[in-house]
Amino acid sequence: MGGFSELIKKFDKTRDYIRDFFIYGFKVRNDFDLKSLRTYDDEKRRIESWFSDYIRYDRSERGQKVSITVDSGIISENPLYQAYYSKSFTNNDIKLHFFLLDVLHNGESLTLKEIVFRIDINYDEMFDVQTIRNKLKEYVKEGIVITEKKGKTAYFRLSPDRAEEFLYAYDGLTDAVKFFSETQEFGIVGNSLLKFAHLKNDLFVMKHNYIVHTLEDIIIPEIISAIENKRYVSFISFKSKSNKVKNVNQVVPLKIFSSLQTGRRYVVGYVPSIGCFHSFRLDFIKIVKTGDIFSEYDSIYEKFSQDLNYCFGVSFGSVNIETVVITFYIDEKNEKFVVNRLEREKRNGILEKIDDNLFRLTVKSFDSFEVMQWVKSFTGRVVSVTGDNKQAIDRFYSDINKMYKMYERGEQ
Amino acid sequence: MNIFHEIYSTYFRIASEILKLPHITEKSIYEIIKRDGFRDSILFLPQKFIPQNDNSDWGLLIKKNNELVPVTKNKPVEILTEIQKQWIKAILDDPKIHLFLENNTIVSLKKRLENVKPFYNRKHFRYTDKFSDGDNFCNQNYQANFRKIINAVKSHEILEITFISGNGKKICKEYIPLKIQYSAKNDRFRFFCFSVENGEISTAGIINIGRIKSIKPTGKYWKNNISTDEYFQKRKCVNPVIVRISNERNAKERFFMEFAPYEKCTLSDSTDGKCTVKIWYDYQEETELLIRLLSFGAVIEILEPHRFRRQVKKRITRQYDLLNKNCRD
Repeated sequence: MGGFSELIKKFDKTRDYIRDFFIYGFKVRNDFDLKSLRTYDDEKRRIESWFSDYIRYDRSERGQKVSITVDSGIISENPLYQAYYSKSFTNNDIKLHFFLLDVLHNGESLTLKEIVFRIDINYDEMFDVQTIRNKLKEYVKEGIVITEKKGKTAYFRLSPDRAEEFLYAYDGLTDAVKFFSETQEFGIVGNSLLKFAHLKNDLFVMKHNYIVHTLEDIIIPEIISAIENKRYVSFISFKSKSNKVKNVNQVVPLKIFSSLQTGRRYVVGYVPSIGCFHSFRLDFIKIVKTGDIFSEYDSIYEKFSQDLNYCFGVSFGSVNIETVVITFYIDEKNEKFVVNRLEREKRNGILEKIDDNLFRLTVKSFDSFEVMQWVKSFTGRVVSVTGDNKQAIDRFYSDINKMYKMYERGEQ
Repeated sequence: MNIFHEIYSTYFRIASEILKLPHITEKSIYEIIKRDGFRDSILFLPQKFIPQNDNSDWGLLIKKNNELVPVTKNKPVEILTEIQKQWIKAILDDPKIHLFLENNTIVSLKKRLENVKPFYNRKHFRYTDKFSDGDNFCNQNYQANFRKIINAVKSHEILEITFISGNGKKICKEYIPLKIQYSAKNDRFRFFCFSVENGEISTAGIINIGRIKSIKPTGKYWKNNISTDEYFQKRKCVNPVIVRISNERNAKERFFMEFAPYEKCTLSDSTDGKCTVKIWYDYQEETELLIRLLSFGAVIEILEPHRFRRQVKKRITRQYDLLNKNCRD
């Protein structure tokens, strides 16, 4: 397929583009920092082809803006999954896929030699023995083919687990897959299952649905594997605004953090070189490489578990735990729902009723800025804020003053 | 193993559909590609199936008596891959699985997958701002209600549902459930529905499954077409919110990330770094949008509609007065 192709070999570059089109719907062609404009044009054309129902074109003084726009609260299938179904392959890959499924169809176990012979006879196609061996090895790993040894000879047969039969063999499983295929934890895998079984999610929609997270599903398995094996990882990041690729070496990953409010996801890890916990944005990480075993993993994890009690969002302080005390005025009789909201959203904070219609929330955390960002969603009910981090508190007061002027001015 | 592999790809899936047919015409190949492919697949894919004189096709079909037939003898099958098994194993550990599967089904699935390593473990994830009062998915009444709703979504059966509304009122009416909504932040299920009065569709509503007291099947089924698009259209705001975002404190990046789930468009994007965005929303979720916008503080300004702006102004004025009164005291 010379010239343009809808298919891609690597996912990382495309990840970066989709995020730019989807998240930053305000970018124009010249904003894309690229070596060649043809790369932009090809990526744009692919994105238009994969997500055609969700592409929006707007004109601005800086040029035409192409964006992916979707109300993700009402869709049945994450449209970004299409990107995963665009892997390029060779002619041999597709031929061998269907030839192997065909020659192994009746469940018979065959040797490599027999498979090569049957492919030659049945389809009049001569493949290198090594090519077929490699493909079989790959399919054993993928779970499509099962290998067994009889004496010194390896035999190959097709896995008996047909996707469609498997899903229908268990009452309720198809509905469960429909649901979990749209959830944050590797929903793409569930979606691939539905496609195999010719099913579609026609039951569920997701609120607070950050569909863009699926793009990170390509790197998270490597991180989870490092967590389970107590190993270091290193990251190669996407180019930053300053056009520099940032590499981070020797991080011990501990957990994936996800904010359902801000849409950001992080890998939180221990950085031995600076002796503290740190969070790294997942959407900025291009490649993850696993390193050696970290011998002090268990003791560090214990410290991490203790520190989690003071983690309001994703920040981990190096030294101090800050206290912030917020007093709210809430009409208990008519606004009980606000008290309920505080109760369910306060995380590690302690809520006390201090007087009629007055409630005090005390939060001890590593970062008062994170707490105050959330407190702003209670604008109109905050009586006072006191605490250790003067800067965070001053910013709240300054923001309210600025907003007051902003909205007063606008009304004149 | 990786989900980004050609065995899951759109092109392989189309090939599988084509090879399942004992014979096929060129026209049908075009139709399948148009139906199942990407927008531009029609430009690249047909010639890979239709035999070409220069042998540039994939050699999966041959011409026989003016028809195209597969070179393979058997219909291709879709084998459950290792990753897919691992993923099923992982979802079996989620409490929400009890809404779908009976305990004995979970046990037998776990047995079937006993040698499979779960694709992920829930303990590796932490949701920093998940609400603490989510639904109890292990409650048997909840599970039974959930299943009745699922069945009604499939069958369009009209259900008589008694529930306690957000205002604490007991309501009993007939409803047709349309779709079930899950919010990871609230950790709750709700369902979209139309209420039915005198055999006619009435209002578009949404009911928390956790608030349901009882569900009675009516034995009546909605026979006419029912459109979820119409439902969502009925709940969509008449006037979208227009917001101006400054570029201070990385506001643009934070805003576009947080509001990614909303349908929106950028109206203007000036060279001084400010941009103006239009956001459409479900009018019944207006308060949620309002408090999320407020959490951005002074780096954004709500411009329109005036009614929405007035609500913001009212809260800010009240806040300003509260803080200043407190300072004076």
